[in-house]
Amino acid sequence: MTKHIKNIVIVGGGTAGWVTAGILASTLKKEVDSGFSITLIESPDIPIVGVGEGTWPTMRNTLKNMGIRETDFIKECNVSFKQGAKFSQWVRGSKDDFYYHPLVLPQGYDSINLAKHWVNHNGGQSFSNAVCFQEAICELGLAPKQMITAEYAAVANYAYHLDAGVFSEFLKKHCTKTLGVNYVSANVVKVNSASNGDISSLNTSLNTELLGDLFIDCTGFKSLLLGEHFNVPFVSCSDTLFADRALAVQVPYENENSPIVSHTLSTAQSAGWIWDIGLSTRRGVGHVYSSRYISDDQAHQELLNYLKRSSVEAENLSFRKIAFNPGHREKFWEKNCVAIGLSAGFLEPLEASALLLVEISAQMIADKFPTNRTTMDIAAKRFNNTFSYRWERIIDFLKLHYCLNKRTDSQFWVDHRNPNTISDHLKEQLLLWQYQVPSDTDFEQLLEIFPAASYQYILYGMGFITEPNPLGISAQSQQVAADHFQQVVTQKKEHTSTLKTNRELLNKIYQYGLQRV
Amino acid sequence: MTNFTVLDTKTHKNTRVMTGRGAKFGENIHLVPVIAAELNKLMLEYPVCLIKDNETGQFGLSALLGFEVGENLFLNEDQWEANYIPLHIRRQPFMVAVNSPAGAKPTPENTVITINMDNARVQEAEGELIFDDKGNTTPYMNEVNNQLATLVNGMIQTEAFIKTLSEYDLIEAVQLTVSFNHEDKRFDGIYTINEEKLKKSSPEVLTDLHQKGYLQACYLLMASIGHVQKLITLKRKYLTQNKNN
Repeated sequence: MTKHIKNIVIVGGGTAGWVTAGILASTLKKEVDSGFSITLIESPDIPIVGVGEGTWPTMRNTLKNMGIRETDFIKECNVSFKQGAKFSQWVRGSKDDFYYHPLVLPQGYDSINLAKHWVNHNGGQSFSNAVCFQEAICELGLAPKQMITAEYAAVANYAYHLDAGVFSEFLKKHCTKTLGVNYVSANVVKVNSASNGDISSLNTSLNTELLGDLFIDCTGFKSLLLGEHFNVPFVSCSDTLFADRALAVQVPYENENSPIVSHTLSTAQSAGWIWDIGLSTRRGVGHVYSSRYISDDQAHQELLNYLKRSSVEAENLSFRKIAFNPGHREKFWEKNCVAIGLSAGFLEPLEASALLLVEISAQMIADKFPTNRTTMDIAAKRFNNTFSYRWERIIDFLKLHYCLNKRTDSQFWVDHRNPNTISDHLKEQLLLWQYQVPSDTDFEQLLEIFPAASYQYILYGMGFITEPNPLGISAQSQQVAADHFQQVVTQKKEHTSTLKTNRELLNKIYQYGLQRV
Repeated sequence: MTNFTVLDTKTHKNTRVMTGRGAKFGENIHLVPVIAAELNKLMLEYPVCLIKDNETGQFGLSALLGFEVGENLFLNEDQWEANYIPLHIRRQPFMVAVNSPAGAKPTPENTVITINMDNARVQEAEGELIFDDKGNTTPYMNEVNNQLATLVNGMIQTEAFIKTLSEYDLIEAVQLTVSFNHEDKRFDGIYTINEEKLKKSSPEVLTDLHQKGYLQACYLLMASIGHVQKLITLKRKYLTQNKNN
């Protein structure tokens, strides 16, 4: 008889480990009766990387499904709301050069592709401003919801900015106290194999042996199980995405009433870009750059210049450097071991794909949880296919932000336009989009990570030109589009007059809390 | 307009309060805050629901009188067509003020009774006197005093009741779509108790609710929502009459 899968061992306790534990434990608890166990072993000596401070809107459902109150999460993890990203100086590098990638889909996205109409006639209005109200509320620093909006519900679609270190601790508490996850604080000293090549158990520094049926590698860049034990090769994508260093710093607010920006600020530099995210307690700022184009000292100087522009005294701040190799493992599930998080791969912080991949990886394992060792091979094969596709699409989408630039001031930006650095798939899409606007039918999978709407925001934000349809647009379709454009105008007016600022809303949440319904 | 003044035998010696009903007294409102202690009377007339405060997001208990701002379907000129009128309406133009830091519980020692001198009821020509010749409160004012005392205590109890409902996660949104003049209108922001969740609550939760006297309040609250149908009928009648006029 083939072995049943009952005991799950997660190695590593950063955000990846605890998010995975939370998703698996809460999903399995709902689905199956009893008899499974989830154990997380975390090294007391290895600090977490904890850079991932931006999430996707998916995090709302992830936390809700774990049974976490949004009010608790907001209060305890220094959370603020994120309504997308504002990209400055990514196109020409000039001061007035910016565009938004909001989280609200273009108006009427289910029934009409407004991009078709916008490329035909836009009166000089930016794409994001024409098809959606979110840029208008972001520019005013307004929050995406009100006090009467229930937990996890939104007036404008939103994600979070959070403190990754605190978030891990918060999830750890919830997983161990409420979701029944076992916790072991020890180092893994030896990986033991079964005759079929599976991992049978781990020896720990407490002289104990941890048995398991499924092992999840959340050991960060070390990739202890998938990389070191199974020797699954690493596929670098540094030819496409050049960034390989990050310099991060925590910046205090000027005072307790300083505005909290409601979106990620992303400002292009000479060989990379600077992220600037507002938590409720501080800002998280960092420069991600390519060491092939500038030295660490130059990168440091560019970050200092950026901070100086927002009148921050940088002398007393401590900077943290992180080196990484952009890319991912050739496969993610080998034998009875899956890698989730940095151990599976990392590209760069752009578009906050790291935490998203953790969520959707753990969710897929939970949804397709193999009941026995035979079906695990099928689950593994499908998981690998799905995630190979997803990594490729994420690489394409990140590359899109770079390859459409029109900058001539540095080799980094010039090289990003070199066709040899762009995948054939993306080149084909770009050719197609010269003549027709992106539509969800341009993609193969039902559950695309980035829908066509995201491509539209980036393409048209960066000044990409799609030729209007030579056959014209029917009067009927134009009328429908005009109604939708008008709705955007109405929504802008309504939301900008009713929503409070991010800071005001967060203060009220601290004082009163949000309702569950 | 509001201009609350602490009640005083000298200042308000000749002050009179008109006790009638009507829009001229600001009674054309679609929501009125109520207390849980009124539920057994309210449930015979009004849909009572939980409504969030716009500023704080906190739930309060309210009787629904109409479907839009300014619409009180129970009001017909100077008649309030119901057998029971909520305390919050009857205590006008008086209010209890707490003379303590914010958040302090009102007690007989730290509270004073105030009157809104800008209220349309308040003048010196007609209506009930507040004080008699000897400076004692009139029977009318004694009645108001009782109402105010009931309200002040009732508000604290109601807050505790709602807090418990929230803690046990028993509150749910009411999906209300009504057709007036062949046009569907959706009403958001109305909440009540989820009957299924209440029924399926653990024996410990049910015992706790019962011992606090909340279980009966829960059922009164749920039953009262049925009166939304009465409001719809009243509104349709009103719309038909207006069309004919």
